[in-house]
Amino acid sequence: MRKNTCELIRRELDELNLDETCTTAAIEHLRECGECREFQEKQTKLRQIVGSLGTVAAPADFDFRLRARLANESSNTSHFNFVSSFVWGPVLRRGLAAAALLLVFAAGAFLVRSKLNGPAQVTETAKQSPAPGIPEPPRQAATYPAPDIGKQKVVSLPPSKHPQKNKMDRFEQVAVSKNRRLATVDSSSTGANVLNGTEPLASSATIPIDASSVQSFTVSVDDGRGNAKTISVPAISFGSQRLMHNANQFAPKRVW
Amino acid sequence: MNTLTTIDELGFAPALQQDVLEDTTSDHALLEATRSGDQDAFAELVSRYRNQITSYIYRMTNDYDGAVDLAQETFVRVYRAADRYQRSYAFSTYIYRIATNLAISELRKRKRRKLVSLTGFFQQSDGGEAKEFNPPDLRPLQDSDLVETERRNAVQRAIGTLPEKYRAPLILRDVDGRSYDEIARILETSEGTVKSRISRARGFLREKMHAYL
Repeated sequence: MRKNTCELIRRELDELNLDETCTTAAIEHLRECGECREFQEKQTKLRQIVGSLGTVAAPADFDFRLRARLANESSNTSHFNFVSSFVWGPVLRRGLAAAALLLVFAAGAFLVRSKLNGPAQVTETAKQSPAPGIPEPPRQAATYPAPDIGKQKVVSLPPSKHPQKNKMDRFEQVAVSKNRRLATVDSSSTGANVLNGTEPLASSATIPIDASSVQSFTVSVDDGRGNAKTISVPAISFGSQRLMHNANQFAPKRVW
Repeated sequence: MNTLTTIDELGFAPALQQDVLEDTTSDHALLEATRSGDQDAFAELVSRYRNQITSYIYRMTNDYDGAVDLAQETFVRVYRAADRYQRSYAFSTYIYRIATNLAISELRKRKRRKLVSLTGFFQQSDGGEAKEFNPPDLRPLQDSDLVETERRNAVQRAIGTLPEKYRAPLILRDVDGRSYDEIARILETSEGTVKSRISRARGFLREKMHAYL
């Protein structure tokens, strides 16, 4: 019973304003109950402390900043609706980014395609090595021996010292593998001799191919980084058979 | 300002009209004038409420710069929504409701960002918010001003650790001195809930502030 009374009195004290006086019943109870008296004292003190916090003033430039903010917002909304910018802004940005990315890819693909479709060029190495004589022996043992020497001829090519040339070679290899224009590409550093149908085979002693016998030969190309490409040329006949279809069209200087 | 014109149009009795001009209804008039494009009316509204709103949000968030930003955002929202404003309750209730929502939203953002997690060791079971470990300074204090400042800081910190649902009604009641009825309207809850939350908030504060009481 007493506990209930204390609760009621405390609730009444809680709800009172600081300047208000409590009821006579509450005053009577406070005289008798020390706990409630202590509660009232602490509560009053706490409310006084909290109430003493007072009002914090806004900064002096509050109005100015607010006007600037409102002006900024209104100018923004006049150009672009706030709601639509909120909703469509991210979508638009993503869409534009995706379109730009697509454009870059398309341009890149077009460039690569146009390069690959263009006429294959003879490598610089071939131009720089005018010696039509016997090809130099390979500088490094980068030879990839063919399993059957009797049937196939292995030509080892030294790795190029120039990275740019390496790149070029690789590009040409890719071009060769894609377009199958083996006859027009010379990957050797010493330059391949030109064999055409008019020349007697005996005079072209640069490539030791026994043309009298039907055989194929293999060219191993090493780019110096351990990547090797083996180009296998099928059996050649110098009879009435054409060496390669339309080969002259793509290799104007050193035509097979 | 064309506030008088607007008030005249309302057709109140002269005695009542005088009260309206002096009391909160004049805020309605200022807002009506703002709605019709009167910038001075809005400036007057801002000058009336900027300190109260800034202070209230500051007590809620315990961050002055953030409070100023949020107070400005409150006025921006009032300005933007002037067309949709309905005078079913006092303007002060309306603006305090916006400010409360913004402050609570900011507190929740902070909670998500774990900015208040340094005191996260002392989790409460009901509120879920951190209790600050705030031992009383037992060194002798020489200046009463210092004592007062220290006590205020302690109160501010203690209020800052209250769960938001207790913090807002306590500040509105004990700092701003608003009535239970108005607090209930600001917080969009019942008066009974407000009373019980204020009572709980004071209970928490008594525990935290026992060294100062």
